[in-house]
Amino acid sequence: MSGLAAELRRSPLLAAGLIVVILLTAVATLAPHIAPFDPKAIVGDALQAPSSRHLLGTNDAGVDIFSELVWGARSTLVVASAATALVLVIGVLLGLVAGLYGGLAETAVMRSGDVVLAIPAIPLLIFIASLAGPSRIVAIVSIGLLGWPQVARVVRSQTLSLRSRGFVHATRGYGAGPLYVMRRHLVPALGPIIAANLAFMAGLAVTIEAGLAFIGLGDPTTVSWGAMLERALRHQAIYVSSMWLWWLLPAGLAITTAVLGFTFVGVGLEPRFNPRWTRIS
Amino acid sequence: MSGIRSEEGAQGRAAEPRPQPPPSGGLDLRSADAEGGKAQLLDDAANEPRRARWVPILSYVITVLVLVTLNFAVPRLMPGGPIDALLAQGSPDYVADTEVRENLTRYYNLDAPVWEQYGRYLANLATGDLGYSISTNRPVSQDLRERLPWTLLLITLSIALSIAIGIPAGIHSAWKRGRKVDRGLLGFFLAAQNLPIYFVGAMVLLVFSVKLGLFPLGGASAPFADHGPLAAVLDVAHHLALPVLLMALQFAAYQYLVMRSSMVSELGADYLVGGRAKGLKVRRLQYAYAGRNALLPVVTVVGMQFSLAVTSVIFVEQIFAYPGVGLYMFHAVFVRDYPAMQGAFLVLTVMVVTVNLFVDLLYRRLDPRTAA
Repeated sequence: MSGLAAELRRSPLLAAGLIVVILLTAVATLAPHIAPFDPKAIVGDALQAPSSRHLLGTNDAGVDIFSELVWGARSTLVVASAATALVLVIGVLLGLVAGLYGGLAETAVMRSGDVVLAIPAIPLLIFIASLAGPSRIVAIVSIGLLGWPQVARVVRSQTLSLRSRGFVHATRGYGAGPLYVMRRHLVPALGPIIAANLAFMAGLAVTIEAGLAFIGLGDPTTVSWGAMLERALRHQAIYVSSMWLWWLLPAGLAITTAVLGFTFVGVGLEPRFNPRWTRIS
Repeated sequence: MSGIRSEEGAQGRAAEPRPQPPPSGGLDLRSADAEGGKAQLLDDAANEPRRARWVPILSYVITVLVLVTLNFAVPRLMPGGPIDALLAQGSPDYVADTEVRENLTRYYNLDAPVWEQYGRYLANLATGDLGYSISTNRPVSQDLRERLPWTLLLITLSIALSIAIGIPAGIHSAWKRGRKVDRGLLGFFLAAQNLPIYFVGAMVLLVFSVKLGLFPLGGASAPFADHGPLAAVLDVAHHLALPVLLMALQFAAYQYLVMRSSMVSELGADYLVGGRAKGLKVRRLQYAYAGRNALLPVVTVVGMQFSLAVTSVIFVEQIFAYPGVGLYMFHAVFVRDYPAMQGAFLVLTVMVVTVNLFVDLLYRRLDPRTAA
């Protein structure tokens, strides 16, 4: 625990990122208690300015914007964590297979990873989402299927380098099983790297989810920040009145804060395994 | 200085061959591995020089085939098949009559075996036939031909500008690493890289075009304007300014981060100490000596940014109503014009992997370790 505290003192970026992520999680979990209204229900006149009843006013349908904003945290977090978990599972499995078995399995994993990395992800996502119909599941699965190669590469290269290290041979020589080696050496070595990768991936997932919603491919059954942006920008008077202040700006800032939060966590974790970064963050 | 150097050495290429590159740009899913892939290829190249020359070309061919096949397969994998995708409820061309549907199925050869369909599709593609757009009622290829130049103009200018920003900033930052300038630049570019471009774009448009009135609200040129050639060029540049600047800053961020980290590993090298002892100017040391040596990874990055570029272009063109392929794709999605969408998707993605191939080949030439 004191290690964590020291780490946080050393890296303000990591601390800031963690605060954002914790806040996001708190808001997402407590959404029903924080939001004063149902984020999908029409609860007043359309296009009201902020008041004590509607903290951020209402949108063109008469939905309370503040409630939308609070519930948006939930869908953001759901997509970010689900997509990241999927990336983690696929990436670690394939990376271990490539690193431990080598040969044909390794070639297959690494080369297909190259092909996946070469395909521009967003156009493909847009393509799939517009054909499959907008839904969160499609977005999550697509992000997972497109994001695994980075994690797989890191896992493979670490596995390869660890396998040949003296201390691993020594541990095995003393009779330790492969599971012990994994727990004692592989996981500690991989942990921070994967964590940093996953933090970046979570940030990307947030941007992508909001981006899809911005294009009009958001899940119509959920409230999301991207969909709020899209709806606000589609309104004709958004730029010429001061509505953007409480309609457009909060949703955009929320996306930005969430993305930067995840990114900062990733950057903050990097120095632990990359000496090149020690001096800067 | 030398401390950093030795750490690099200790870390070694064998243990962790890739210098962990910084997080990647906004919507680019392929974050940290721009360099990883190269390091991997490099190792291969060192071991098997003859085979390695074919690796990029082979993987290019495979990638293009995957893209082309995806374009063919995804609509057919959707529930109901392509006819439903085109004419389903909710699309403007909804067809309820079963007989009409059957006719269409026959017309589009959808009752033929899949392999025959695939063959036909490839044959059509080879002649540049991308089908007809439902919303514009014109061949998709013709639509795209009109819009592609605008998109290419936008992307090329953004990348050119980003190089002019990112590389000097990276060199400068590395030279002053740990100082205030470095921290400031690092924070700025980290943010620039990760800010959602669709939101920042909307804000930039709001402030500079709507509130301040400094730039046009959108489009590529003023409609119905009657002016000489010079004024026309200025007009186009005026429309380009905001979108190009926005995209350039986003691209510059990644170049900056890679350049900075690559440059830091050059610092402390003996030739720099020697150069300084010889009395060379700092600027010359920065650019002609260390910068030049550190530039190689950035070349790869610039190429890979084409992928980020086609993504950004979809959002940026939408916000600035810029008449390129991105906006075309956006509209196609909006009105469910699937042939147009497929065409735009194919053109954008194949363009990206083609540029990547050239960068890969160029890289091999530039790097003395892999140059033939």
